[in-house]
Amino acid sequence: MRKIAIVLVSILLLSTAVLSSKPDPARLFIKNATIIPVVGERVEGGAILVEGGKIKAVGKDVQAPADAAVIDASGMFVYPGFIDSYSHFGLAEISAIPSTTDFREMGKENPELRVAWAINPHSVHFGTGRVTGTTTALVAPSGGTFPGISALIKMDGWSFPEMAVKEAATSFINFPMTPRPVGEGVTAQKEAKDDVTSKLVEKIRDYLKEARRYLDLKKLAATDPGVRAPEYNAKYEALGPVLDGTLAVIISVEKAKDIELAIKFVKDEKLKAIFRGCAQGFKVADKIKQSGIPVIIDSLYVGPSDPEDGYDAPYRNVVELAKAGILISFSSGDSPAQGKDLPYHAAKAVAFGLPYEEAIKALTINPAKIFGESDRLGSIEAGKDADLIIATGDPLDIRTEVKQLVINGRAIDMSNWWETLYQKFRSRPEK
Amino acid sequence: MKPTNALKVISTAALILGFCGLLPAAENSVLLRNGQIITVSGETIPGGDILVQGKKIVRVGKGLSVPAAAEVVDLNGRWVMPGIIDSHSHIALEGDVNEMGDLITAEVDCLDVINPQDINIFYALTGGVTSIHTMHGSGNPIGGKGIVLKMRWGKSAAELVFEGAPLTSKWALGENPKQSNSMGMGPARYPKTRMGVEQSIRDEFEKAKEYKKKWAEYEKKAKAAKESKGKIAPPLPPKKDYRLESIADILSGKLWVRCHAYQSEEMLSIMRLCKEYGVKLVCFEHGLEGYRVTNELVEYGVAVSTFADFWAYKWEAYNTMPQAAALCAKRGVLVALNSDDAERMRHLFNDAAKAVRFGGVAEDEAIRMLTINPAKIMGVDKRVGTIEPGKDADLAVFNRHPLDPFTVCEMTMVDGTVYFDRTKYLEGQKKAEEEEKKKKEPEKKNGGEV
Repeated sequence: MRKIAIVLVSILLLSTAVLSSKPDPARLFIKNATIIPVVGERVEGGAILVEGGKIKAVGKDVQAPADAAVIDASGMFVYPGFIDSYSHFGLAEISAIPSTTDFREMGKENPELRVAWAINPHSVHFGTGRVTGTTTALVAPSGGTFPGISALIKMDGWSFPEMAVKEAATSFINFPMTPRPVGEGVTAQKEAKDDVTSKLVEKIRDYLKEARRYLDLKKLAATDPGVRAPEYNAKYEALGPVLDGTLAVIISVEKAKDIELAIKFVKDEKLKAIFRGCAQGFKVADKIKQSGIPVIIDSLYVGPSDPEDGYDAPYRNVVELAKAGILISFSSGDSPAQGKDLPYHAAKAVAFGLPYEEAIKALTINPAKIFGESDRLGSIEAGKDADLIIATGDPLDIRTEVKQLVINGRAIDMSNWWETLYQKFRSRPEK
Repeated sequence: MKPTNALKVISTAALILGFCGLLPAAENSVLLRNGQIITVSGETIPGGDILVQGKKIVRVGKGLSVPAAAEVVDLNGRWVMPGIIDSHSHIALEGDVNEMGDLITAEVDCLDVINPQDINIFYALTGGVTSIHTMHGSGNPIGGKGIVLKMRWGKSAAELVFEGAPLTSKWALGENPKQSNSMGMGPARYPKTRMGVEQSIRDEFEKAKEYKKKWAEYEKKAKAAKESKGKIAPPLPPKKDYRLESIADILSGKLWVRCHAYQSEEMLSIMRLCKEYGVKLVCFEHGLEGYRVTNELVEYGVAVSTFADFWAYKWEAYNTMPQAAALCAKRGVLVALNSDDAERMRHLFNDAAKAVRFGGVAEDEAIRMLTINPAKIMGVDKRVGTIEPGKDADLAVFNRHPLDPFTVCEMTMVDGTVYFDRTKYLEGQKKAEEEEKKKKEPEKKNGGEV
């Protein structure tokens, strides 16, 4: 199988791929590349040696072992694989057909549900989602107040365990959203609705309080024979690592006022939080920065959450958050079918003023840090996972083609559903 | 000739000539200087100028002389393209765009529900969009009439209408009229299959033919009665039926048909039907599987207005690929890239780059998919879609090439009037922020919590 993969490399890279006589599939040598390692300086005409799925060496003077498969990347650019910080990859095939979707369970409180083993490794969206360079994705559940637990996976593998980076990556809380008042000058109504938001936050707090009580009682019962252990509750059990700060929790929040509420909530509850969305984050960027909470940016193919923020608010928001020094990362959003747009969202932010380097970091090393995997992912450095993009140009440019992806040291098959259709129907004779 | 009459003649002549763009409207003469001009009609002109007089482009070229009293705008090497034309949109309409009260609703008209205050008109301008075809939804095999609008933000409903653009009839095939994805949202109704959808259109054609026949007979009898000078009693006219009048307008070719379709089989089926009845089927909307039947589309002469890469949201949108637009175009189908969405409309130029990346059309061809191609589909290509003398001064200015991923639309002009200027927008934004700050300051002094 691995031999097939290597043959594929040579086919896909056409004349540029040169294989040594006895390739060891465990060793891959990429040469003559412009390398953008993200951590460290750009290398022109550099090489990367991959061994056992890891990056062994990077630089100008790296020598090819005689038994390595060689990719000649002349004229090409090598970036670390991109990380999609929020997706439903493997959980949704066709959004309108319920039998093909598995990311939304019934009810509001499902903190115990795990997406990991529900992921379909053979979803067509892995193949199409990879074409622009995504090698790792956070796969999230959604809906309700506590949607469940996400998994961090590589975009390639025969089964979930082969894909897994982290089986339980983050928990989630969907923060209540303050609705925009209808019409102008309805101050009283606005106040009333804001109270509703606070009340809903109180409800979440009450739920967490119950979970804490349960966990405390259970702990007490373990040491004190006079205390009866509470009846097993999977939901409260699942909140244990969230409440003791060992499992990060992604909090979806958009409006400035709600973000402020959420910052206080995180502080009071002592959570290890990551914000997602923050459409009006630019209004309270200093406060987010102070809180130390990173932010996952949602799809930027979106209008302003409030027309008064200006037409360019979604892009300006990213620029302001980065300027404030907040750790940000990009995500493709709710539809795995549009997963390939991940770098294009970053490009949109660059167009409106985000420094290019910051955009690349927000696709690589930043999410690696946010998910606690920066020792494995997010840059081209010796010792890290060999997750690489080999592209004809800047991967943020829509016109650039990713020629080859390397995931866990494997040059993966780049064919996909689109390519299958294209090859079939372009062969129909013209009249 | 009396002086008043002379004045009348002169002013009438000025009106006619002015309307044709032959006479410069002195109050509005703008020379856009030193831009990279993507003309679409010909080669891109580096360092070129565009002279706009009144509502029209009058000259395009290098080193144009500045007419007296002309305002000069230095483009500093920025890129200019014809205003983007979105051939499939639902913005600027009041309320729901699907009349679901009946199966066939050919008589309802978007013209009656234009909403000039829809903020999406402004958003369209920020994405370089200057004209749109806004239309009825896709819930009915034969839905209502659509309309072509110009993005004259701030003008009245009547003033948004693109003068002289052909009227359209929106049809829909497949899952939406079958109500495949709205199970339980109402009582089940015919049709539930593609067979039924086609038949429901065919039935309506026959009804309209009968209706027209009745009217022809009535008119014949009425004429005879009139000529008989009272000997024959005048007949009673048939009951007026607005729906069948509209269907008759479809059969006569007065209404251009824009047919929502995904699957290639239903495209073949509806082309056969339209041929049989002599209907002017102009364009398949979405047409996600159009790439499978390019031979047939070319033979019939029907266009495809589609997405760059939106797919897999329902079953009939699954068997496609972002290469579809390119493959259709390469095989001779007239292709437009549309938004069908107020947000996607803001970045259609990014979508065009996707046609270059997936399927490999030339960049010029990708730009045509946003300009002259939709203009042809909408029947307004004599007025808009290229940068040429005599055409409407509908222009979009970008800081980089429109297909560059980091490009930003900086100015949008409709009929020679600037409706969006990013520099002014940013100035306004800054001013508003400063005012907001000032408002907060006294609170601070009073010990208010900030």
